[in-house]
Amino acid sequence: MYRSVLLACITLSVYGQQPSTKSGEWPYYTADLKGTKYSPADQINADNFKQLEVAWRFKTDNFGTRPEYKLEGTPVMVKGVLYTTAGTRRSVVALDAKTGEVIWAYSLREGNRAAIAPRQLSGRGVSYWTDGKGDDRIVFVTTGYRLVVLNAHTGQPVSSFGKNGIVDLKEGMVSGTGQQIALETGEAGLHSTPLVVKDVVIVGSSFKEGMTVVTHSNTKGNVRAFDVRSGKLLWTFNTIPRPGELGNETWENGSWATNGNTGVWTQMTVDEDLGLVYLPVETPTSDFYGGHRPGNNLFAESLVCVDLKTGKRKWHFQVVHHPIWDYDLSSAPILADINVNGKAIKAVALPSKEAFLYVFDRVTGEPVWPIEERPVPQSDVPGEKTSPTQPFPTKPPAYGRQYVKVPDDLIDFTPELRAQAKDNVARYKTGPMFLPPIVGDSNLIGALTLGTASGGTNWPGAGYDPETHIVYAQANQSALFPISMRTPPEGFSDIRYVMGRNGTEFRVSEGPGFGSAADAPQQPRPSPAKAAPAKPTAPPAAPVGALTVQGLSVLKPPYAVISAINLDRGDLQWQVPYGETPDVVRNSPALRGMNIGNTGQPGSVGLVVTKTLVILGDSQITTTPQHPRGAMLRAYDKATGREVGAVLMPAPQSGSPMTYVVDGRQYIVVAVSGGAYSGEYIAYSLPTNN
Amino acid sequence: MLLAAQTTRSVWDGVYTSAQAERGAALYANNCASCHGSALGGGESAPPLTGGEFSSNWNGLTVGDLFERIRTTMPADRPGKLTREQDADVLAYMLSVSEFPPGKAELERQTEVLKQIRIEPKP
Repeated sequence: MYRSVLLACITLSVYGQQPSTKSGEWPYYTADLKGTKYSPADQINADNFKQLEVAWRFKTDNFGTRPEYKLEGTPVMVKGVLYTTAGTRRSVVALDAKTGEVIWAYSLREGNRAAIAPRQLSGRGVSYWTDGKGDDRIVFVTTGYRLVVLNAHTGQPVSSFGKNGIVDLKEGMVSGTGQQIALETGEAGLHSTPLVVKDVVIVGSSFKEGMTVVTHSNTKGNVRAFDVRSGKLLWTFNTIPRPGELGNETWENGSWATNGNTGVWTQMTVDEDLGLVYLPVETPTSDFYGGHRPGNNLFAESLVCVDLKTGKRKWHFQVVHHPIWDYDLSSAPILADINVNGKAIKAVALPSKEAFLYVFDRVTGEPVWPIEERPVPQSDVPGEKTSPTQPFPTKPPAYGRQYVKVPDDLIDFTPELRAQAKDNVARYKTGPMFLPPIVGDSNLIGALTLGTASGGTNWPGAGYDPETHIVYAQANQSALFPISMRTPPEGFSDIRYVMGRNGTEFRVSEGPGFGSAADAPQQPRPSPAKAAPAKPTAPPAAPVGALTVQGLSVLKPPYAVISAINLDRGDLQWQVPYGETPDVVRNSPALRGMNIGNTGQPGSVGLVVTKTLVILGDSQITTTPQHPRGAMLRAYDKATGREVGAVLMPAPQSGSPMTYVVDGRQYIVVAVSGGAYSGEYIAYSLPTNN
Repeated sequence: MLLAAQTTRSVWDGVYTSAQAERGAALYANNCASCHGSALGGGESAPPLTGGEFSSNWNGLTVGDLFERIRTTMPADRPGKLTREQDADVLAYMLSVSEFPPGKAELERQTEVLKQIRIEPKP
């Protein structure tokens, strides 16, 4: 029965329909344009999940000059073919969805342009477009920030698009008041997948890591739309508004002209029927110091709704004013048609690093539940002018820890551990959410924030069941992030403060994967004159202000959680620890003989929502009496959060999983990598005799 | 069984020297600390090289596995910049930070030899 229904659907899709999860496909990074990561597939269920077997595996080592250990792609699957990115070259591969056999592979050799790119490694995957009549295309962005359109059947560039299949995305990227950046060396890149809707490709932009920037006037972010057939630029949305554009006045003293960043580096979503696009915008330069950009700095850290045809702003909501915490909007906004107190609302729900789910009417931008401006602590870093208030949603409640409450949030397995944790944490400034960075010194070594850079829900985003109106979100709630600012060494930067602590050796921080592109090695970034060769230091066994005590986090568990958030009611339906207790906790001599329960494990991962399950993998390797060394891919009951099955992976989940059905068989594909294990896509399915 | 016991060691058996770890500390500061942090605590771009997450990644594997990971991919912006001896020195420093005991002989530079040293929790 299952099989025949499915085949009927696939037949329909071949004749002119758009690909869809309804026909077993997974045509977008987030399953659909609404950002749900939902598939109605139900062959794999609570009863049989633990019987899953490896159907095939695809090692990505040779798609670049060296293996990649941070494989983050989520394939799309259309008409029995899987498309994704792979390797340090960021090649595109087409694989047979049933066997993993390579059908074609494509790569662009970009040389130094890729080697110095701000977003390296294989990226998050590709996008698919079809005219429904056999013209099928794969759309992706190279490491060197070129938009490439390939024939989905052959892997060859579509010559009628741009110049021989390529649009140079660096053309039109500017800094300052409008100075075109250098095409070879200019700073711009992207590793999210383009948003492909109707005949339009929409791409964001991202830049170098913002902790120790060499200038606050780096490349300016934007979002652009191109014609998928010709590559013609259709519109540009300036995320830093220009003079005359709404929001320009929020960059006081004309500071719009001397600041950069503010791109969109994560997935965007679109309401095809309404013709509205939802842009989750990131932080301006720099991540932690805003002294050169007084004001609220629209549209930084704002959800912006623009018209699909024109790119004109319809509404926006800034979730952090004058951003200085790296709370980049990290996740694809989720489009949800909900019912609140009997009223039907077309909503958009935004998961976040803050562990708030911000919910708006997606037509008007009105919050579905009031979002209050509340007073927050103020900065004393010279030149910094923090916003007096920040927005706090009244519903749904936060779905993860948002700051370090002393002593309540500190480890409490034993009074001794808590006392040690209190001592360690006393070396930091602590306080409520939006605790601003400080200029640290040997006395107070930083502001101890939580979740700012890498907490809550990060780039893999969350998922949503359109039938039950429930959002499923994983949230890291142990991502401690101490922030201290210092003056940069002479000649390093035009910014007054960078991350670091005066009196300690200055170190340049590089972004994720920096220097790991296939075409590296390369020249390092400009760095200050080398100090005398570092002297051997005593092993820092218990450094001052360590955020661990006896090898355990100073925070109490759970270290991360999975939540089900009911969007009709605006409340938490359930919340459970994510994953299982890490080895270091389970085997800790300090806890011997104690029953500590499931602490969950730190980490930020993506998930899949199916008819009955929420599926996501561990971020850590564990070895337990129940399973040999490995990380588990787990299924949770959607209704209760109870774990109903798990299957061993050789390495942690490093990309967001996806699922599809081909010829009556359901598969789950997940990217794994980390530690000693290089990038691999693994497909799981039930035994054929099942 | 007896043979296995004779030919395999673990990180608890004093597999590097303090002098080697000291050399490694200087190399670490110049080649690794900008991403992995001066106290090996990791950063936005790189995982910690000591502590729970690190040990969960490597327990059950060998020093040789870790050596190969370093040798073939690190430093990220210049893999292969360090010699095998220098990689071994950095590794010795990492072992010292994780409080594995030093011993009388230096950590070797041959992967095959290092693959016989298990990484495991304290017995």
